This record gives sequence, C-alpha cells and structure tokens, in this order.
Amino acid sequence: MLAAALLVAISFGSERLSFFDLSNSERAILFDIRMPRVFLGACVGASLAAAGAALQALLRNPLAEPYLLGVSNGAALGTMIAFVFFEQFVFARPLFAFAGAGLATFTVYQMARSRAGMNVERLVLSGVIVTTFLSSIIVLLTSLLDAARLRGFTFWLLGDLSQATMFGFYLTLVSAILGTIVLTSQARSLNLMMIGERDAMDFGVEVARVRMIVFGIASLLVGTAVAASGSVGYVGLIVPHLVRLAIGSDNRLVVPLSTISGAIFVVLADTIARTVIAPRELPVGAITALIGAPMFIYLLRRN
Amino acid sequence: MGLGFGLKDSSYTKAALVVVAVVAALSCRAVEVPTPVVESREVRDDLGRTVKVPVKIERVISLAPSITEMIFAIGAGEKLVGVTTYCNYPSETAAIEKVGDTQTPNIEKIVALRPQIVFVSTASQLEAFMNTLAEQGISVYVTNPKTLDEVLGNLEELGDLFGRGGEISPMIISLAGRASGVRHQSNYDLDQVIPAKRKPRVFVQISKEPLFTIGRDSFLTEIVESAGGISTTSDIATAYPKVSKETALALNPDVILLSDSEDNSGPSDVFENSPAVKNNRVFKINADIISRPGPRLVDALEEIARDLRPTN
Repeated sequence: MLAAALLVAISFGSERLSFFDLSNSERAILFDIRMPRVFLGACVGASLAAAGAALQALLRNPLAEPYLLGVSNGAALGTMIAFVFFEQFVFARPLFAFAGAGLATFTVYQMARSRAGMNVERLVLSGVIVTTFLSSIIVLLTSLLDAARLRGFTFWLLGDLSQATMFGFYLTLVSAILGTIVLTSQARSLNLMMIGERDAMDFGVEVARVRMIVFGIASLLVGTAVAASGSVGYVGLIVPHLVRLAIGSDNRLVVPLSTISGAIFVVLADTIARTVIAPRELPVGAITALIGAPMFIYLLRRN
Repeated sequence: MGLGFGLKDSSYTKAALVVVAVVAALSCRAVEVPTPVVESREVRDDLGRTVKVPVKIERVISLAPSITEMIFAIGAGEKLVGVTTYCNYPSETAAIEKVGDTQTPNIEKIVALRPQIVFVSTASQLEAFMNTLAEQGISVYVTNPKTLDEVLGNLEELGDLFGRGGEISPMIISLAGRASGVRHQSNYDLDQVIPAKRKPRVFVQISKEPLFTIGRDSFLTEIVESAGGISTTSDIATAYPKVSKETALALNPDVILLSDSEDNSGPSDVFENSPAVKNNRVFKINADIISRPGPRLVDALEEIARDLRPTN
C-alpha cells in the first residue's frame, strides 16, 4: 500500500510528465524535486505517527498527539532559535528541535500528572497551555526577523514540505527507522502499562525506564520531522486511531503499522496539497488539519 | 495619579479622589477648545468613495511607503506628520514620526498627531480602523494604483489635492515620457512590433525559499511586459503566489529578476539548467522599488528594460 501511495504521489504533481519519454527538464522535475519531497513526506508521516502511537499507549490517552501536546511547537521553537542564532550549522536545527520537543514533552507530562493519575482533560489542557505559550514566543521571534524571512516561516510553521533538502530527508529516514525499531521493542511493556502502571510493575516492567525511552524517542522523531518540514498536525492522532480500529490495540502491531500508515497518509495529503490549486501550492499541514480537527472532536466526544 | 500627599488615613478618601480625578478627566473632553472651521471640499478616492478634505491641507499621515514616496514626489513631503516604519525613502522620512507598520498602524498615535487626512493603500486596512478615524473627524483617502499609468494618475490627483497641480505637471509629463519611451523601444523594432517568440521569458523571484513569484494581479507583470519581456507566471491567480518548484523548473526562463534581499540573493536551485542561469542573465533589482507602486516604478521599468535587452 505504501508503494502504491508513493507511486500515486510520484505520478501526480503540478506538472504533467510523460513518464515513458522523459525530457531533461522532466527528469529534473521528477528526480530532483518531486521524489525527494515525496520521500521526505513519507519519513515525516512515519515519524509523527509512530511518536503519536507510542505516546498514546504510554499516557493511556487516545488524544495524545505531538501537535496537540505542544511537542511539535517545542520542536518548531527549537528550530527557529537554531535558525536565528546558529544559521551556519546544518545540525543545529534538528538538534535544537529535538531539545525543544523533549522539553515540551517533559513540561506537559509534569503539568498533567497529579496524585490521582492523569486524566484526559488535564493532559489536553496542559498541551493547550504549553502550545499557546510556545506560540507566543514564536510570534515574538518572527516579529524580530525581517519581513522576507518571516514569509518563509509562516508557511513552514503550518507544515510545508516544499523546502525539502536531502540532508533533512536522510536524517528523518534514519531517525524514523531507528525510532520505530526502538518503540516496537518497548511495545510489550507498553501493552502491560496500558492495563495500569502498577500492574505493569508487577509483571516486571521497568516503568520509569520505558517512559524515558518513549519520551526520548518520540521527541527525537518529532524533532527531526519538524526541523525538516515544520509542524504537520494531527498525523499522530488520525493514523494510530485508524490503525487501532483496523487491528485492535496490541502495540506490537500498532506501532510499526502506524509508521507505515503515517507515511501513506502524509504522502497522499501532500499530493493533494501539491495539485489542488496548481501551479500554486498549499502547506501540507493545512490538509492534515482539515482532516484531523473534525476527527479530534469526534474522538473527544466519544471519550 | 498623583496621590502622593500623605493621604494614608482611609481608603474612602482615596476612592473619593479617584472619582474626582476621573470625573475631571472626563469633563475635560466637554470643554475642549472648539476646532476652527476649516474650509473643505469633496473629492473621490480610488475606491470611488466621497472623501471630505480641507481646501488647504497642512497635516497628513501616510500608511504606505508607496504613498509616502508619491507625496514627496509632488513636493508635499513637509505636510507629512506621520509615516510607517517601512517608509525609508526619500531620506527625509527618517525624521518623521513613525505610526506603526502598514498592517498594524497605531491608532492612538495617529489620532494624537491630529492629521487632516490619513492615506491608506488598500481598504484591507480595516474598516473598524477607518470608522474610528472618521469619528475623530479625520478623513481616510484610499489610493491603490495597480499599473504604472495609475501611479501617474495618482500623482496627478495628489498634486491636485495638495493644490500643487500646476507645479508638478512637468514632472508627470517627464515620467510619462520616460515610460512611453521605454515601452516603445522595448516592444518595437524599427516600428515593427516585436513578436512574442523573440521576447525574453522572465521569471521574477520574490523569495527563494519558499519560492514566491509575481502573478496575474501584480503590477510587476505589466512592468515586465512594458520592458519588453514576457512574464512566465502571468496567468497564475493572485498577485504574489507561492509557485510549485516543479512548475518553476518547467518554465525554463530566459531571464531571472531577483527582488534583492539577504535571503533572495541567488536564483532557486530549480533554475540550475535554465537559459537564464546558463547565459548569466540573472539580475537583482532593489526590493523596495519593485514592491512599491510609486514614482520610482519608472526607474524600475528602465532598469528592467536594460536587463532584458538582447545581449548580442
């Protein structure tokens, strides 16, 4: 299915290509522009969906999503700080994005946790507060940048794959693969923790260690994805949910399948973003939010 | 509030003082000096609205760099009591009070500067904002030229508004003459219309990442065509669209014009194999000049025409 989605995405774009008889410029369009973007989209979708699936299992909350929890915004702020102060280092952006995502995750977790455990409202509210707080700092930073640079950022903040670079692609590819492997290796523990942390401990699960791993890997996945493409929202919400609807809630399957489905979802959403008002483009985040926000409301009501 | 004279005895005294102060402050409005009757007349602005303006204009504010440049061009620069933070030309603007930027003007500051007219470039500068100014007896004049000819027409209207119609007509004639000279020279070859296939195909790169260009509604499309080129993106809707890199690559322009800024200093990578880059026909144009529909558009037209002229 992923292969089919990639094929569809590569076949369609703002320019119509004659695939069996490629001219030089068509070859450049296909290999230098369209394919890197499609593959980056796949990696970003995979990262965000895997992070979402694992966070939902860990926090026992189907609404835990990198974008809604403020994790994406943390990464976005990190990326911007790196851009403003360390523009010359390529590695600064993903590194700062990772740090920002980690800090935001940790803050939300500390805020949402109470003696009685963690309930849905507390978690979502903490996410909202951290998100708006980080947004205000982002707005402050954008007003310090000059107008031409700002234009790029407003697009990027909505999730934009058009600024794809090969460096960003390789980095997200490596982190998506490693991240999924590590998260899947924790899936059995996550399954037990979904019953209850106390019960999981009885079964010999090192809860604190699992939590650190999941938070760390989720931050890494979100950080690299955001550094490459901005905040593409709701992927981590929609995808794991659909996967669970289809195959149940065994995390040993949910996590790897979310990775693959996340890739499919973002690749298809970006195909829409690239073609619907061609030759102009929409940010892919606008498409994912358009599908994701109603879904969030539905999940919230069902809860 | 100056409550610092030892009234620590009771909070009632403080409360009473506050009330007195507030009442005093409010009643100040009522005894304000009556504004002298100013002779006024009615004119029409670019939106066709009827605007009441004083016959003798003394204090105005401009909320767009292009308007500021036009007001200076007609020799009424000393009437400007407020401009935006973007207004940086001519150099005299540095000494004029700043009232915020074009999108978010500071209404309190504008009212405090007591202008007779506030010039805005689009109605998008908020209806509520315009209503507030109207309540303060400040006229709002919208001027929104979309072509070079409309810029010249606007200069004429402004000249008339400021009572300088006579003084500025030589300048307008000269600008119009320069513009039509360029148009003729660039589009006619020994009085034969140059066929479209011999004209250079131009891509105007407004920003590199993301890739923004000019579209159907930008006045630059007309400028490029007047200068003897064909804008490769003239059929894309809106004024400044973000264009897909695939499409940009396929456009394969002969000439690339860069709106000159720090992060737009070179053509996008997608143009690597375009004739423009291969033949070294990439030119930078001052971003201020080509982003403002003002009098310097004629300078831009001449510069672009020089860039587009065949090299051989």
